Amino acid sequence: MVTLPKIAVTLGKLELAYPTLMGSGCYGSGEEYAPFADLGRIGAIVLKSVTRLPRLGNATPRLVHTPAGMLNAIGLQNPGIDWYLARELHKYAGRPCKIVGSVAGFSVDDYSYLCERLAARDEIAAVELNVSCPNVASEGETFGCDPALTSKVVRAARATTDKTLIVKLSPNVTDIVTVAREAEAAGADALAVINTVRGMAIDVETWRPRLGNITGGLSGPAIRPIAVLAVYEIAQAVGIPIIGQGGIENLTDALEFFLAGASAISIGTANFTDPRIPERISAELQDYLARRDLASLDEIVGKANFALSTADQYEGDEG
Amino acid sequence: MATANLHARVHATTVIGRRVLAPGVIVTTLEAPELARATRPGQYLMAIPPAASSAATALAIYEAEGKLASILFFITGRRTRELSELREGDRLDVLGPLGNGFDCSGGARDVAIVAGGVGIASVLLCARTLLGGGARVRLFYGARTRELLVDAQRFADAGCELIVTTDDGTLGRRGYVTDALAGAPAPETIYACGPSPMLRSVARVAAERGVRAQLSLEETFGCGVGGCWGCVVPISARSAQAPSFPPPELGGSDVLYARICKEGPVFWADELRW
Repeated sequence: MVTLPKIAVTLGKLELAYPTLMGSGCYGSGEEYAPFADLGRIGAIVLKSVTRLPRLGNATPRLVHTPAGMLNAIGLQNPGIDWYLARELHKYAGRPCKIVGSVAGFSVDDYSYLCERLAARDEIAAVELNVSCPNVASEGETFGCDPALTSKVVRAARATTDKTLIVKLSPNVTDIVTVAREAEAAGADALAVINTVRGMAIDVETWRPRLGNITGGLSGPAIRPIAVLAVYEIAQAVGIPIIGQGGIENLTDALEFFLAGASAISIGTANFTDPRIPERISAELQDYLARRDLASLDEIVGKANFALSTADQYEGDEG
Repeated sequence: MATANLHARVHATTVIGRRVLAPGVIVTTLEAPELARATRPGQYLMAIPPAASSAATALAIYEAEGKLASILFFITGRRTRELSELREGDRLDVLGPLGNGFDCSGGARDVAIVAGGVGIASVLLCARTLLGGGARVRLFYGARTRELLVDAQRFADAGCELIVTTDDGTLGRRGYVTDALAGAPAPETIYACGPSPMLRSVARVAAERGVRAQLSLEETFGCGVGGCWGCVVPISARSAQAPSFPPPELGGSDVLYARICKEGPVFWADELRW
């Protein structure tokens, strides 16, 4: 019998049968996608972020399609942690994939409070700290844009749980590597790279912004090269696993992230194109590794040959 | 308007027909037996892009009969243009049937259906169901111009009484379809689909006349299945379609955002707070 290449991955203590996570805010609770996707063939669902207090969310419109992607400004609509734990979370139990909770706060204390309460629940296998939501009026993204604040938030959350802690980083910073280093030093088990890129669109007939929130977060293939670069640079600087995300739609896109240094990938907007994309990527990834006689996904993580310059290539051709 | 997406799944369909109803207005017929069987009036599907990668497109299910389901759509951008190019024999994967459609079970004997532009695509199954139940159905149908009043004859043949309006007066009364509705004898109940300004007018007319109205709303969709909370409308927290949320005394609100794709797309006009 031929042994299939291993594509299961471990992030901290989080063991995933498939290296695919469904991006926070893109996949509901999983229930929404269950009729269309095989949840037994994805690694994990990262739930929509929950906050301390209920949030009604942003005014409409909340979405606009853009070339090679979309802008969104949902505004963290959620019923708040009390209601969420009492009325919602039990619905997520019994899924054939892992469930990762996501928390968003407006103070250091928010993050530790939310992380502690969420991580205490059996339904939750790991917690993602959303320190990078670009779509809330107050300082939601400030945490992820300030290395010192990121460090405080991660340290505070780390003290509340032994479960795997993922920190989702914002690309809307001057130096994402410094933020990544701080998150690692403060005890993060893994990094999600990247959240959406801030953007804007204007209706030229009405002269009004096309989002109710005026600004939004750009996702989809448009941001993929930005995300690949971020993964590459962070992979050189940290020792913890990276979850690469940003416009992944197919195996080729996924491979770019693995080769750049991601141990797993997260798929968000592509689910809006076809909910079967994540399971298709896993199947094709296994074929790809098998064709190259590779026993495991690990063997390609971070293995892009960054040393090969165009000059080397030119000499090689001549030789 | 209750249990969305219970019978939804991915369907691999084959295009078996394509009609051009007017410049830029297409009906594409799909062989999709299970989809056709499961579809209820006012439901829609998400068409997975057949070619280049881009988001799936939400389209009303126009007809559903036997093995066939069809979509009627206007070419408005890149994605609908791509769909318009599908020809007989081409494959199209769709998610559906989706959403909570029209509730045709009220037993009203005299109903008005109001359709504006591409909104006509959402109401044919509704009209047929109501006519099948023995109701008198008046269709108030408005479009920009005569040639965009597509498939009107089909509704007449089905037994609807037609009242048509055009913005430019090229057919029927000149002006808005909601003015025609306001000037006509009041029906017992109203069903409507069209652009938001039209639906707001329908809601106003319905309120003035003390008639309940069901409105099928349109909005830019992200996922189309309830996963992203991108397509929302403000609604009374007391509505059965309001999302699970704490009451005002626990930090909630009297008005909440409901997902048009999942809780809707059809809502009671008097429950919207838009």
